[in-house]
Amino acid sequence: MLKLNNLEVSYLNVVKVLYGISLSVADGMVVALLGANGAGKTTTLKAISGLLRIEEGEITDGNIEWNGQRIDKRSAAEIGKLGIVQALEGRRVFGHLTAQENLIVGSYSRSRARDVSADFKMVYNYFPRLESLKNNIAGYLSGGEQQMLVIGRAMMAAPSLMMLDEPSLGLAPMVVEQIYDIIKKFNTDRKASILLVEQNVRVALNTAHYGYVMENGRVVLDGSADYLKGREDIKEFYMGISASGTKKSYKEIKHYKRRKRWL
Amino acid sequence: MEQLLQYTITGLAVGMIYALIALGFALIWKSSRVANLALGQLVLISSWFTYGILVQAHFPVWAGMIMTILFAIFLGWAIERFTLRPLIGQPTLSLIAVTLGLGYFLEGIVIVVWPISVAKLPVLFPQDPINIGSAVISQEYVWAAGISLALFILLSLFFKFHKMGIAMRAAADDQLAIQACAVPINRIFSLSWIFACIVAATGGVLISSIGGITSALIETGFKSFSVVILGGMDSFIGCMVAGPLIGLCENIGAGYLTSIIGPGIKDLIPFVIIILVMLFKPYGLFGEERIERI
Repeated sequence: MLKLNNLEVSYLNVVKVLYGISLSVADGMVVALLGANGAGKTTTLKAISGLLRIEEGEITDGNIEWNGQRIDKRSAAEIGKLGIVQALEGRRVFGHLTAQENLIVGSYSRSRARDVSADFKMVYNYFPRLESLKNNIAGYLSGGEQQMLVIGRAMMAAPSLMMLDEPSLGLAPMVVEQIYDIIKKFNTDRKASILLVEQNVRVALNTAHYGYVMENGRVVLDGSADYLKGREDIKEFYMGISASGTKKSYKEIKHYKRRKRWL
Repeated sequence: MEQLLQYTITGLAVGMIYALIALGFALIWKSSRVANLALGQLVLISSWFTYGILVQAHFPVWAGMIMTILFAIFLGWAIERFTLRPLIGQPTLSLIAVTLGLGYFLEGIVIVVWPISVAKLPVLFPQDPINIGSAVISQEYVWAAGISLALFILLSLFFKFHKMGIAMRAAADDQLAIQACAVPINRIFSLSWIFACIVAATGGVLISSIGGITSALIETGFKSFSVVILGGMDSFIGCMVAGPLIGLCENIGAGYLTSIIGPGIKDLIPFVIIILVMLFKPYGLFGEERIERI
C-alpha cells in the first residue's frame, strides 16, 4: 500500500510543482495518473522513487508511506530495494548494452541468482520478442521493442509496485494495446500494484481500476475508472469527445469549450 | 635484423604498460564519461609511494606491493568521495577541470614529500635476461607485459559478465535510468576510480622498476592519453591494441631515426600516429560509436 499525504515538491527551492498531492495505491491495484503536460505527474513518480533529489527537487511538505513506513527521506537505491521501481518516460534503454544486459541491470537489487533466472523466464514469457533479440544492442531496437525492454527491465526487479511513465508514448496503437495487455497480465499474475502515468486516457482507463486527474500540481478529480470514463469533463478534455457523444472535428475551428467544472 | 627484433620486443612490452595505464583512463570514461586528466600524476604518486615503502621504510617487496595496492584503493576512494562526488550532476567540464586540478595537487604532494627528483626502485623481478631468438631481453619486460595482460583480462571479464560491471557500463549510457534500477550510483563511480588507481599504480610500479622514478612518469601518463585516443576512449581492447602499437612505433622509430633526425623523435612518433588515425577513425580504432537511430 502506497500513500502520499499532502505532498509538496519544489525544484531548486523556487519552482513549486506539487501543491499538496494525496493519493494511494492499494495492493494489487492498477492506478492511473492522468493530466496534461506540466501537471506534475512525472514529478509525483520521481518523488516516490527517490529520483527527485538527483534533479534538484525536494519534498517540502507532506510525506510518502509504503506499507506504513515513511520512505520520502530514502535514497533511490533503498526505495528500489523495497520493491518500488520506476520505468522512466521516453524509452530510456542502455543503448550500448545488449537487451539481456539491460535486463541484468534491472535485476541489480535482487540478491539471489535463482530468483533472477526465474525472472528472466518470466520476462521472456511476457515479451517473447525480447528473447529472440536478447543479444542485440538495445540502441538499435525499434521503439516498441525498446519500450518492452524498459518495462521488462522494471519487471526484473520483481517489484511490488511498478510505476510506468507514459508507456504508450510514440508507439503505434497496435503496439500500445500489446503492451497494455502485458501490463494487465503482470498485474493479475504477480499481484503487483501498478501506478501508470499516461496521456492516452482511453487506454489507461481501460486498464486501470482507479484514476486520479491532476492539473497544475493538484489532484482535481479521482474515482474508479468506470466513473471517470463516464464523466463529461474527462470525455471532453482528455478523450476529445464532445457532450453530444460525437468525435470533435478539428475542421470547425471556431468552437466554444466547456468550462472545466472542477476548477 | 637482430636490432629490429630487440626493438620490437621492448616496444611491445613497454606498450603493454602504456596500455595498462591507459585502462585507468578508459575505466573512468566508460562508467562516468569523465576524462581523467590526473592519470600521469596518479602514476607518479603511486610510484613514489612504493619507493617510500620499499626503500625508505624498508618493507619487504611482497608487503610493499600489498601496501601499494591498498594505497591505490584508498586514493581512488578518497578522490571520488571528496573531489568528484560533490559535483555529481554538474556539467562534465567542471568534473574534468577538477581532475586537472587534482593532478597538480598530487604532483604538489609528491614534491613536498619526496623532494628528490630521481630515485630507483629496488629489484622487483628476477634479473636473468631471456634470449628470444637472437634478441636479449631483460625479464622485467616480460613480467610487466604479463601482469598488464592479466589485469586487462580480469577487468574485461568483470565488465562483461559481473552484474556490477554491466551496471558500470550502463551508467555511461544513462545516469538517471541506472538509478531508477536501484543501482547505487555512488558505488559505481567510487569503484571506477578505485580500479583506475589500481591500474595506474600497477603500471607506475612496473614502469619505474624498469626506468626509475622521475617526473617523466607524468609524460608516460600523457602517452597513455594517446593510447586511449588511438584505441577509442572506452574500449579496453582498444587500449590493449593501441598500447603495444604505440610502444612499437616509438621504439622502432626511435631506434632507426634518432641518429638521423635527433633524440626528440621518440616522443613525437605516437602523436603523429594519432593524428593520422583520428583523420580516418574519429572514434578511435575500437571506440563505441554513438548510437543514433534516424
